[in-house]
Amino acid sequence: MTELNEHPAVIEICNQLKTLVSCDFVGLALQNVSGPDVRWHYAAGNLNDKYKRITVRFGKGVAGKIISSGSPMILENFPNEIIGKVTDHPIMLAENLISSYAVPLFFNGVPKGVLLVGKREAYTFTETEQKLVDESAHTLEHLLKAHIIL
Amino acid sequence: MDLISSKQQISSYIIDSQEEEIKRIALELHEGVGQNLYSILTGLQFVETGIKEPHMKNHLREMSLLIEKTIQEIRLLSVELHPPALTTLGLLPAVKNYIKLYTSTFGILVDLESDGDERPIPERKRIAVFRVCQEALVNIAKYADTSEVKMNFYWNENELKINIHDFGKGFQPVEPKDHTSSSGLAAMKERMYLTGGEFTISSKIGEGTSIQISLPF
Repeated sequence: MTELNEHPAVIEICNQLKTLVSCDFVGLALQNVSGPDVRWHYAAGNLNDKYKRITVRFGKGVAGKIISSGSPMILENFPNEIIGKVTDHPIMLAENLISSYAVPLFFNGVPKGVLLVGKREAYTFTETEQKLVDESAHTLEHLLKAHIIL
Repeated sequence: MDLISSKQQISSYIIDSQEEEIKRIALELHEGVGQNLYSILTGLQFVETGIKEPHMKNHLREMSLLIEKTIQEIRLLSVELHPPALTTLGLLPAVKNYIKLYTSTFGILVDLESDGDERPIPERKRIAVFRVCQEALVNIAKYADTSEVKMNFYWNENELKINIHDFGKGFQPVEPKDHTSSSGLAAMKERMYLTGGEFTISSKIGEGTSIQISLPF
Protein backbone atom coordinates (compact mmCIF):
# COMPACT_ATOMS: atom_id res chain seq x y z
CA MET A 1 0.00 0.00 0.00
CA THR A 2 0.99 3.65 -0.29
CA GLU A 3 2.42 5.35 2.79
CA LEU A 4 -0.15 6.09 5.48
CA ASN A 5 1.12 9.67 5.70
CA GLU A 6 -0.85 10.13 2.50
CA HIS A 7 -4.02 9.03 4.29
CA PRO A 8 -4.60 11.50 7.14
CA ALA A 9 -8.10 10.07 7.72
CA VAL A 10 -6.57 6.70 8.68
CA ILE A 11 -4.16 8.33 11.11
CA GLU A 12 -7.00 10.41 12.54
CA ILE A 13 -9.08 7.29 13.27
CA CYS A 14 -6.19 5.57 15.07
CA ASN A 15 -5.48 8.67 17.16
CA GLN A 16 -9.18 9.12 17.99
CA LEU A 17 -9.43 5.47 19.02
CA LYS A 18 -6.52 5.88 21.43
CA THR A 19 -8.39 8.71 23.16
CA LEU A 20 -11.79 7.02 23.10
CA VAL A 21 -10.55 3.75 24.58
CA SER A 22 -8.05 5.48 26.91
CA CYS A 23 -5.35 3.05 25.93
CA ASP A 24 -1.56 3.50 25.71
CA PHE A 25 -1.00 2.15 22.21
CA VAL A 26 -2.83 1.75 18.91
CA GLY A 27 -1.23 -0.17 16.04
CA LEU A 28 -2.34 -0.83 12.50
CA ALA A 29 -0.81 -3.74 10.59
CA LEU A 30 -1.50 -4.37 6.91
CA GLN A 31 -0.44 -6.80 4.27
CA ASN A 32 2.17 -5.46 1.86
CA VAL A 33 1.26 -4.85 -1.78
CA SER A 34 3.84 -7.34 -3.00
CA GLY A 35 4.23 -10.66 -1.25
CA PRO A 36 2.52 -12.08 1.80
CA ASP A 37 4.36 -9.96 4.41
CA VAL A 38 2.29 -8.10 6.99
CA ARG A 39 3.86 -5.07 8.67
CA TRP A 40 2.88 -2.47 11.24
CA HIS A 41 2.26 0.64 9.15
CA TYR A 42 1.08 3.04 11.83
CA ALA A 43 1.24 3.35 15.59
CA ALA A 44 0.01 5.89 18.13
CA GLY A 45 1.44 6.07 21.64
CA ASN A 46 4.53 4.07 20.64
CA LEU A 47 7.63 4.15 22.90
CA ASN A 48 10.08 3.54 20.04
CA ASP A 49 10.17 2.83 16.31
CA LYS A 50 10.68 -0.95 16.59
CA TYR A 51 7.18 -1.56 15.22
CA LYS A 52 8.31 -0.17 11.85
CA ARG A 53 10.87 -2.96 11.46
CA ILE A 54 8.68 -5.83 12.68
CA THR A 55 7.31 -8.17 10.06
CA VAL A 56 4.30 -10.05 11.40
CA ARG A 57 4.81 -13.81 11.23
CA PHE A 58 1.84 -15.70 9.78
CA GLY A 59 0.07 -17.58 12.58
CA LYS A 60 2.34 -16.24 15.32
CA GLY A 61 1.68 -13.66 18.02
CA VAL A 62 -1.37 -11.45 18.27
CA ALA A 63 -1.36 -10.08 14.72
CA GLY A 64 -0.21 -13.30 13.03
CA LYS A 65 -2.92 -15.36 14.72
CA ILE A 66 -5.59 -12.82 13.81
CA ILE A 67 -4.50 -12.76 10.15
CA SER A 68 -4.49 -16.57 9.99
CA SER A 69 -7.76 -17.11 11.91
CA GLY A 70 -9.76 -13.98 11.07
CA SER A 71 -10.94 -13.73 14.71
CA PRO A 72 -10.39 -11.04 17.36
CA MET A 73 -7.97 -11.74 20.20
CA ILE A 74 -7.69 -10.56 23.79
CA LEU A 75 -4.67 -10.65 26.06
CA GLU A 76 -5.39 -9.54 29.61
CA ASN A 77 -2.11 -10.12 31.42
CA PHE A 78 0.82 -10.78 29.07
CA PRO A 79 2.89 -12.97 29.28
CA ASN A 80 0.58 -15.03 31.51
CA GLU A 81 -1.79 -17.50 29.88
CA ILE A 82 -0.47 -16.99 26.35
CA ILE A 83 -0.44 -19.67 23.68
CA GLY A 84 3.11 -20.17 22.41
CA LYS A 85 6.31 -18.51 23.50
CA VAL A 86 6.76 -14.98 24.87
CA THR A 87 8.94 -14.25 21.84
CA ASP A 88 6.03 -15.10 19.53
CA HIS A 89 4.49 -11.76 20.61
CA PRO A 90 7.02 -9.16 19.41
CA ILE A 91 4.70 -6.14 19.39
CA MET A 92 3.80 -6.80 23.06
CA LEU A 93 7.52 -7.01 23.93
CA ALA A 94 8.54 -4.04 21.76
CA GLU A 95 5.95 -1.73 23.33
CA ASN A 96 5.94 -3.20 26.86
CA LEU A 97 2.25 -4.01 26.50
CA ILE A 98 0.54 -6.13 29.15
CA SER A 99 -2.99 -6.19 27.76
CA SER A 100 -4.42 -5.86 24.29
CA TYR A 101 -7.51 -6.25 22.17
CA ALA A 102 -7.01 -6.74 18.45
CA VAL A 103 -9.36 -7.31 15.53
CA PRO A 104 -8.87 -8.32 11.89
CA LEU A 105 -9.39 -5.99 8.94
CA PHE A 106 -11.13 -7.77 6.10
CA PHE A 107 -10.62 -6.92 2.45
CA ASN A 108 -12.74 -8.85 -0.02
CA GLY A 109 -13.66 -11.28 2.76
CA VAL A 110 -10.04 -12.09 3.58
CA PRO A 111 -8.21 -10.90 6.74
CA LYS A 112 -5.34 -8.71 5.54
CA GLY A 113 -4.82 -6.35 8.43
CA VAL A 114 -4.98 -5.94 12.20
CA LEU A 115 -6.07 -3.08 14.42
CA LEU A 116 -4.68 -3.41 17.93
CA VAL A 117 -5.22 -1.40 21.09
CA GLY A 118 -3.01 -2.03 24.10
CA LYS A 119 -2.24 -0.96 27.65
CA ARG A 120 0.96 -1.20 29.66
CA GLU A 121 -0.91 -2.72 32.60
CA ALA A 122 -3.11 -5.76 33.17
CA TYR A 123 -6.58 -4.88 31.96
CA THR A 124 -9.76 -6.36 30.51
CA PHE A 125 -11.18 -4.29 27.68
CA THR A 126 -14.90 -3.77 28.25
CA GLU A 127 -17.57 -4.66 25.69
CA THR A 128 -18.09 -0.95 24.95
CA GLU A 129 -14.35 -0.51 24.30
CA GLN A 130 -14.25 -3.60 22.13
CA LYS A 131 -17.19 -2.24 20.12
CA LEU A 132 -15.33 1.04 19.56
CA VAL A 133 -12.35 -0.90 18.19
CA ASP A 134 -14.65 -3.00 15.95
CA GLU A 135 -16.27 0.15 14.56
CA SER A 136 -12.93 1.81 13.88
CA ALA A 137 -11.78 -1.35 12.10
CA HIS A 138 -14.84 -1.25 9.81
CA THR A 139 -14.21 2.41 9.01
CA LEU A 140 -10.56 1.64 8.22
CA GLU A 141 -11.60 -1.24 5.96
CA HIS A 142 -13.65 1.21 3.86
CA LEU A 143 -10.93 3.86 3.81
CA LEU A 144 -8.16 1.44 2.86
CA LYS A 145 -10.14 -0.73 0.44
CA ALA A 146 -8.71 0.97 -2.64
CA HIS A 147 -5.14 0.68 -1.41
CA ILE A 148 -5.02 -3.04 -0.71
CA ILE A 149 -4.56 -5.55 -3.51
CA LEU A 150 -7.75 -7.58 -3.74
CA MET B 1 36.05 -35.66 39.83
CA ASP B 2 34.95 -38.68 37.78
CA LEU B 3 31.34 -37.94 38.66
CA ILE B 4 31.70 -34.37 37.34
CA SER B 5 33.33 -35.59 34.15
CA SER B 6 30.61 -38.20 33.69
CA LYS B 7 27.89 -35.57 34.19
CA GLN B 8 29.56 -33.37 31.60
CA GLN B 9 29.67 -36.24 29.14
CA ILE B 10 25.97 -36.89 29.70
CA SER B 11 25.17 -33.18 29.23
CA SER B 12 27.21 -33.12 26.01
CA TYR B 13 25.46 -36.25 24.77
CA ILE B 14 21.99 -34.82 25.47
CA ILE B 15 22.85 -31.50 23.78
CA ASP B 16 24.36 -33.23 20.73
CA SER B 17 21.33 -35.54 20.41
CA GLN B 18 18.95 -32.58 20.62
CA GLU B 19 20.92 -30.68 17.98
CA GLU B 20 20.86 -33.69 15.65
CA GLU B 21 17.10 -34.01 16.05
CA ILE B 22 16.55 -30.26 15.55
CA LYS B 23 18.67 -30.42 12.38
CA ARG B 24 16.64 -33.39 11.09
CA ILE B 25 13.29 -31.64 11.71
CA ALA B 26 14.57 -28.40 10.12
CA LEU B 27 15.72 -30.26 7.02
CA GLU B 28 12.47 -32.24 6.81
CA LEU B 29 10.43 -29.03 7.02
CA HIS B 30 12.52 -27.28 4.38
CA GLU B 31 13.13 -30.10 1.93
CA GLY B 32 9.97 -32.14 2.53
CA VAL B 33 6.93 -30.08 3.59
CA GLY B 34 8.23 -26.85 2.05
CA GLN B 35 8.98 -28.43 -1.33
CA ASN B 36 5.56 -30.15 -1.45
CA LEU B 37 3.80 -26.87 -0.71
CA TYR B 38 5.81 -25.20 -3.44
CA SER B 39 4.67 -27.86 -5.92
CA ILE B 40 1.05 -27.23 -4.87
CA LEU B 41 1.56 -23.47 -5.33
CA THR B 42 2.96 -23.94 -8.84
CA GLY B 43 0.03 -26.25 -9.69
CA LEU B 44 -2.52 -23.72 -8.43
CA GLN B 45 -0.91 -20.92 -10.43
CA PHE B 46 -1.11 -23.13 -13.53
CA VAL B 47 -4.80 -23.91 -12.88
CA GLU B 48 -5.47 -20.18 -12.42
CA THR B 49 -4.30 -19.42 -15.98
CA GLY B 50 -7.01 -21.71 -17.39
CA ILE B 51 -9.89 -20.25 -15.36
CA LYS B 52 -12.11 -17.52 -16.82
CA GLU B 53 -14.63 -16.76 -14.01
CA PRO B 54 -13.36 -13.74 -12.03
CA HIS B 55 -14.67 -14.97 -8.65
CA MET B 56 -13.00 -18.38 -9.08
CA LYS B 57 -9.80 -16.71 -10.24
CA ASN B 58 -9.90 -14.49 -7.16
CA HIS B 59 -10.54 -17.48 -4.91
CA LEU B 60 -7.56 -19.33 -6.39
CA ARG B 61 -5.36 -16.27 -5.97
CA GLU B 62 -6.27 -16.10 -2.26
CA MET B 63 -5.47 -19.80 -1.88
CA SER B 64 -2.11 -19.26 -3.60
CA LEU B 65 -1.36 -16.37 -1.26
CA LEU B 66 -2.22 -18.52 1.77
CA ILE B 67 0.13 -21.26 0.57
CA GLU B 68 2.81 -18.63 -0.11
CA LYS B 69 2.45 -17.41 3.52
CA THR B 70 2.67 -20.98 4.80
CA ILE B 71 5.80 -21.68 2.72
CA GLN B 72 7.38 -18.53 4.09
CA GLU B 73 6.54 -19.53 7.68
CA ILE B 74 7.86 -23.08 7.16
CA ARG B 75 11.10 -21.65 5.75
CA LEU B 76 11.49 -19.23 8.68
CA LEU B 77 10.71 -21.98 11.18
CA SER B 78 13.29 -24.25 9.55
CA VAL B 79 15.96 -21.53 9.53
CA GLU B 80 15.16 -20.67 13.16
CA LEU B 81 15.55 -24.30 14.19
CA HIS B 82 18.81 -24.88 12.37
CA PRO B 83 20.22 -22.28 9.96
CA PRO B 84 21.66 -24.05 6.90
CA ALA B 85 24.40 -21.39 6.71
CA LEU B 86 25.81 -22.75 9.97
CA THR B 87 26.71 -26.00 8.24
CA THR B 88 27.53 -24.70 4.77
CA LEU B 89 29.05 -21.23 5.25
CA GLY B 90 30.23 -21.01 8.85
CA LEU B 91 29.51 -19.18 12.10
CA LEU B 92 29.75 -15.56 10.98
CA PRO B 93 27.44 -15.86 7.91
CA ALA B 94 24.96 -17.83 10.05
CA VAL B 95 24.95 -15.09 12.72
CA LYS B 96 24.56 -12.41 10.03
CA ASN B 97 21.54 -14.27 8.59
CA TYR B 98 20.04 -14.72 12.03
CA ILE B 99 20.42 -10.99 12.76
CA LYS B 100 18.32 -10.15 9.68
CA LEU B 101 15.58 -12.49 10.92
CA TYR B 102 15.97 -11.11 14.47
CA THR B 103 15.54 -7.49 13.37
CA SER B 104 12.47 -8.30 11.27
CA THR B 105 10.99 -10.28 14.19
CA PHE B 106 11.68 -7.95 17.13
CA GLY B 107 12.50 -4.64 15.43
CA ILE B 108 15.84 -4.43 17.27
CA LEU B 109 18.82 -3.26 15.21
CA VAL B 110 22.07 -5.20 15.62
CA ASP B 111 25.34 -3.59 14.61
CA LEU B 112 27.74 -6.46 13.89
CA GLU B 113 31.47 -5.96 13.37
CA SER B 114 34.10 -8.61 12.79
CA ASP B 115 37.84 -8.04 13.24
CA GLY B 116 40.37 -10.48 11.83
CA ASP B 117 39.93 -13.41 9.48
CA GLU B 118 37.24 -15.95 10.22
CA ARG B 119 38.78 -19.30 11.13
CA PRO B 120 37.28 -22.74 10.72
CA ILE B 121 35.59 -24.08 13.86
CA PRO B 122 34.43 -27.69 14.33
CA GLU B 123 30.66 -28.00 13.78
CA ARG B 124 29.85 -28.96 17.37
CA LYS B 125 31.59 -25.86 18.74
CA ARG B 126 30.16 -23.69 15.97
CA ILE B 127 26.61 -24.75 16.93
CA ALA B 128 27.29 -24.12 20.63
CA VAL B 129 28.56 -20.57 20.02
CA PHE B 130 25.68 -19.85 17.65
CA ARG B 131 23.10 -21.07 20.19
CA VAL B 132 24.61 -18.95 22.96
CA CYS B 133 24.55 -15.85 20.71
CA GLN B 134 20.96 -16.68 19.73
CA GLU B 135 19.91 -17.07 23.38
CA ALA B 136 21.66 -13.81 24.30
CA LEU B 137 19.81 -11.91 21.57
CA VAL B 138 16.44 -13.46 22.49
CA ASN B 139 17.02 -12.48 26.14
CA ILE B 140 17.70 -8.91 24.99
CA ALA B 141 14.36 -8.89 23.11
CA LYS B 142 12.58 -10.21 26.20
CA TYR B 143 14.13 -8.19 28.99
CA ALA B 144 16.47 -5.39 27.89
CA ASP B 145 13.93 -2.86 26.58
CA THR B 146 16.29 -1.60 23.90
CA SER B 147 16.24 -0.78 20.19
CA GLU B 148 19.89 -1.46 19.44
CA VAL B 149 22.59 -4.03 20.10
CA LYS B 150 26.31 -3.96 19.37
CA MET B 151 27.99 -7.25 18.53
CA ASN B 152 31.75 -7.65 17.98
CA PHE B 153 33.65 -10.70 16.75
CA TYR B 154 37.43 -10.74 17.33
CA TRP B 155 39.28 -13.52 15.50
CA ASN B 156 42.76 -14.02 17.01
CA GLU B 157 45.45 -16.62 16.41
CA ASN B 158 44.32 -18.77 19.29
CA GLU B 159 40.73 -17.86 20.04
CA LEU B 160 37.48 -16.22 19.01
CA LYS B 161 36.07 -13.56 21.31
CA ILE B 162 32.54 -12.23 21.00
CA ASN B 163 31.13 -9.21 22.83
CA ILE B 164 27.41 -8.51 22.85
CA HIS B 165 26.25 -5.25 24.40
CA ASP B 166 22.67 -4.04 24.54
CA PHE B 167 22.00 -0.47 25.53
CA GLY B 168 19.00 -1.47 27.60
CA LYS B 169 17.83 -1.06 31.15
CA GLY B 170 20.31 -3.53 32.64
CA PHE B 171 19.73 -5.61 35.75
CA GLN B 172 21.17 -6.42 39.13
CA PRO B 173 23.13 -9.67 38.69
CA VAL B 174 21.85 -12.32 41.12
CA GLU B 175 23.82 -14.67 43.33
CA PRO B 176 24.74 -17.96 41.60
CA LYS B 177 22.59 -19.89 44.10
CA ASP B 178 19.45 -18.14 42.85
CA HIS B 179 18.83 -20.76 40.17
CA THR B 180 15.24 -19.85 39.34
CA SER B 181 16.01 -16.46 37.83
CA SER B 182 19.34 -17.30 36.22
CA SER B 183 18.97 -20.83 34.86
CA GLY B 184 19.06 -19.52 31.26
CA LEU B 185 22.35 -17.73 31.93
CA ALA B 186 23.73 -20.79 33.74
CA ALA B 187 22.82 -22.95 30.72
CA MET B 188 24.67 -20.56 28.38
CA LYS B 189 27.70 -20.64 30.66
CA GLU B 190 27.59 -24.45 30.88
CA ARG B 191 27.27 -24.79 27.10
CA MET B 192 30.36 -22.67 26.52
CA TYR B 193 32.22 -24.55 29.26
CA LEU B 194 31.42 -27.89 27.60
CA THR B 195 33.03 -26.68 24.38
CA GLY B 196 36.15 -25.53 26.22
CA GLY B 197 35.17 -21.88 26.10
CA GLU B 198 34.07 -19.23 28.57
CA PHE B 199 31.02 -17.07 29.14
CA THR B 200 30.80 -13.98 31.32
CA ILE B 201 28.04 -11.45 31.84
CA SER B 202 28.08 -8.01 33.40
CA SER B 203 25.24 -5.58 33.83
CA LYS B 204 24.52 -2.22 35.39
CA ILE B 205 21.07 -0.76 35.86
CA GLY B 206 20.50 2.00 33.32
CA GLU B 207 23.63 1.20 31.33
CA GLY B 208 22.79 -2.11 29.70
CA THR B 209 24.19 -5.61 29.76
CA SER B 210 27.37 -7.05 28.22
CA ILE B 211 28.09 -10.65 27.39
CA GLN B 212 31.60 -11.92 26.59
CA ILE B 213 32.11 -15.28 24.95
CA SER B 214 35.48 -16.81 24.20
CA LEU B 215 36.31 -19.99 22.33
CA PRO B 216 39.87 -21.30 22.00
CA PHE B 217 40.79 -22.92 18.67
